[in-house]
This record gives sequence, structure tokens and C-alpha cells, in this order.
Amino acid sequence: MHELGLLAEIVDKIEEVAKENKVTEIETLVLDVGEYSGVVPVYLEECFPAVIEGTLLEKTKLQLNIIKGKAFCHDCKKTFMIAGNEQNCPYCNSQNCEVIEGGEFVIKEIVAR
Amino acid sequence: MDKFRVIEIKESVFADNNAEAAELRLSLKKKGTLLINLMSSPGSGKTTLLKRTIADLKDELSIAVLEADIDSDVDARAVAEAGAKAIQLHTGGMCHLTAGMTRQGIEEVGLDGIDLAVLENVGNLVCPAEFDTGAAKNVMILSVPEGDDKPLKYPLMFSVCDVLLINKTDVLPYFDFDVDACVERAKKLNPSIEIFTLSGRTGEGFSAWTNWLKESVKEWKTAERVGDNAFVRYGRK
Ligand SMILES: Nc1nc2c(ncn2[C@@H]2O[C@H](COP(=O)(O)OP(=O)(O)OP(=O)(O)O)[C@@H](O)[C@H]2O)c(=O)[nH]1
Ligand SMILES: [Mg+2]
Ligand SMILES: [Zn+2]
Repeated sequence: MHELGLLAEIVDKIEEVAKENKVTEIETLVLDVGEYSGVVPVYLEECFPAVIEGTLLEKTKLQLNIIKGKAFCHDCKKTFMIAGNEQNCPYCNSQNCEVIEGGEFVIKEIVAR
Repeated sequence: MDKFRVIEIKESVFADNNAEAAELRLSLKKKGTLLINLMSSPGSGKTTLLKRTIADLKDELSIAVLEADIDSDVDARAVAEAGAKAIQLHTGGMCHLTAGMTRQGIEEVGLDGIDLAVLENVGNLVCPAEFDTGAAKNVMILSVPEGDDKPLKYPLMFSVCDVLLINKTDVLPYFDFDVDACVERAKKLNPSIEIFTLSGRTGEGFSAWTNWLKESVKEWKTAERVGDNAFVRYGRK
């Protein structure tokens, strides 16, 4: 829902980074989007053209790496891939689990010159 | 011409906001102002609840209300009439408040001498749960007509709140809202959440809530450190 606002913040951040690195052309922007981050990849793609208009990223391509959900069970100490909304441990059925991957929304890198 | 190269950034999109929120929290701690981030769906009874809260506490605490601009200024006026300082924040049509917007609004008017400031966030249960505003405590309202299954549908919101207010209890006889089931679902997501059931219309259950506010203000002013809250614990990193 707030993908537009998030992208606007990302573009600001990238323009800063570009300045620091004396970059004038950004070919690709790479974001890591966790499956459980609450951020919807399709919305990011839809909002992107509107957000980059008139910025240094005007010609930049957006690349999204989708990160699968992974959790750790504090009871049996096993790690497992989260399937759907089922967050109980598949080995011991414990609910005492923690999402260790897939919750992130990270600016990974830019390809630029 | 130079070749393209990869510039690694590896920074969470939420990192900047989190840092700004922590900074704002610290500055409000120094001022002795307890900022409460109030979140809910539209129509959950925020304005009614705030008016009564202000009326109950205005002789003991000086109170300010910060409103996100999506609401009409009817709400701001109602709040001012009840005896609190009303401040309009500018979200630029965004679906949530960030720490930056909150700080900006606070800087414009200042909160000198204010004991309790309530931030009326934008009305939805999704986006505001993603952004730490810099509030000391996070409170959500769930009103009875919305249904007791909301913790299942909006888990992050219930996880990042220190307090859940189950509001409009006066209409419980007319809805199939199961308070116990709702409490159990919320506690499963966030074992330390405090839950008050109350009605902004009748005032039922209000003293427990206003006592919590008074205690929290006292604690905030006397505590040595800022401490953490549910948002810092369970929110986006
Ligand atoms: N029965 C009942 N109705 C309530 C209660 N609190 C508010 N209402 C009614 O619910 C409707 C919305 O109340 P508001 O206080 O304006 O709610 P709000 O969350 O500020 O609404 P928005 O600012 O429009 O999002 C109004 O018709 C109120 O009269 C309550 O405790 N019980
Ligand atoms: Mg209102
Ligand atoms: Zn297990």
C-alpha cells in the first residue's frame, strides 16, 4: 500500500549515494524484497516509473530479488522454509519460531558509472 | 567513458526512519513529553475516545494532539474544544506517518510544557505498522463492529503495539465479537501487550486507560533511559 512512499525514500537515498560516488548514470537498481516484508513486488514495479520521473534514476531499470521466508525454531533448534501462512515448526510443531529471512526490504546495490 | 560498476549499498529501507525515530524519542525524553502513536482503522472512535480522554485528564496533564492531514479539521476543532492543543501534521497524502514528518510537525509548534502528546496516525491497520514514528508508546484501537478476527488479518499491527484498546464495548450485545478470543489472538502475537476494553461513548472502562496514561507519563519523566517499546522490539528493521 505504501510502496510509492517507500520508493520515493529509496530514490532520495540513491541520489545521495550517487553524489558521494560521483556517479552520473545508474543502469540498474537492485532491491531485496522479503516474501514476509509486507512489501508487494508488483506494486513496486507499478509505482517505479512515476517515482523516477525527473530524477537521476529516470533511465534506471528496477531489479527485484525475492527472498524466501526462513524461520528458526527455538525449541528444536532447526531451521525451516516458511510455507504460506503456516509458521509452526514442521519438525516439532512448536510456535516458538522466529523469522530469520524473508522479512527484509533492503537496497542491495546499484549498477552505475 | 567509464565502465558500469556495482556499488554495494546493503541498507534496509527502514534503517533511516528507525534512526530518526530513535533520535526523536530521545529529544522528547529530554523534554519530558510522552508521545503516544495512536493507530486504528477509520471510524474506530479515535476522536470520541480522545475527547473523553482529554476531558478526564486535562486538569492533571497538559495535552496536545497531532493529527495526520487526511482527517478533516473537524476533528482538530473537536479536540481543541475538549481542552488540548491541536496540531496539524502534513503527510502529503501518504498512507502512514514517518518519524521525519512527526519531527517536522513537532518542530513547527514545539511541545514545551506538554506532558502528553497523542499522534493520530493515518487511518489504516497496515502501513502505520511499518514505520516507527518516534513515539514512546504505541497504542491501537480496535472497535467492536470491526470484528474479533483482526489480529489474524493484521498481525504486524498487533505486534508493534504496547496497548490495545477494544473500543465501543457498549455495542457488544449487538455484535458477535468475542472479547476473550480477541485477547487470546492479540497475546499470541505479542505476549506483553496490555489490553483495555472501554467505550468512548459511555466512559465504561475508562479509568484503567487514563490511569495507564498517567502512570506512563510519570514513568517517562522519571526513567533514566528511553527504554524500548513494542515497535522497537517487533517492528521492521
Ligand atoms: N456505540 C458507540 N459508538 C461510538 C463510540 N465511539 C465513537 N462512536 C461512533 O462511531 C463513529 C465514528 O466515531 P469517531 O470518534 O468520529 O471515529 P474516528 O476514528 O475519529 O473517525 P475518523 O476520524 O473519521 O477516522 C461516530 O458515529 C461515533 O458517534 C462508542 O464508544 N460507542
Ligand atoms: Mg477522527
Ligand atoms: Zn521445532
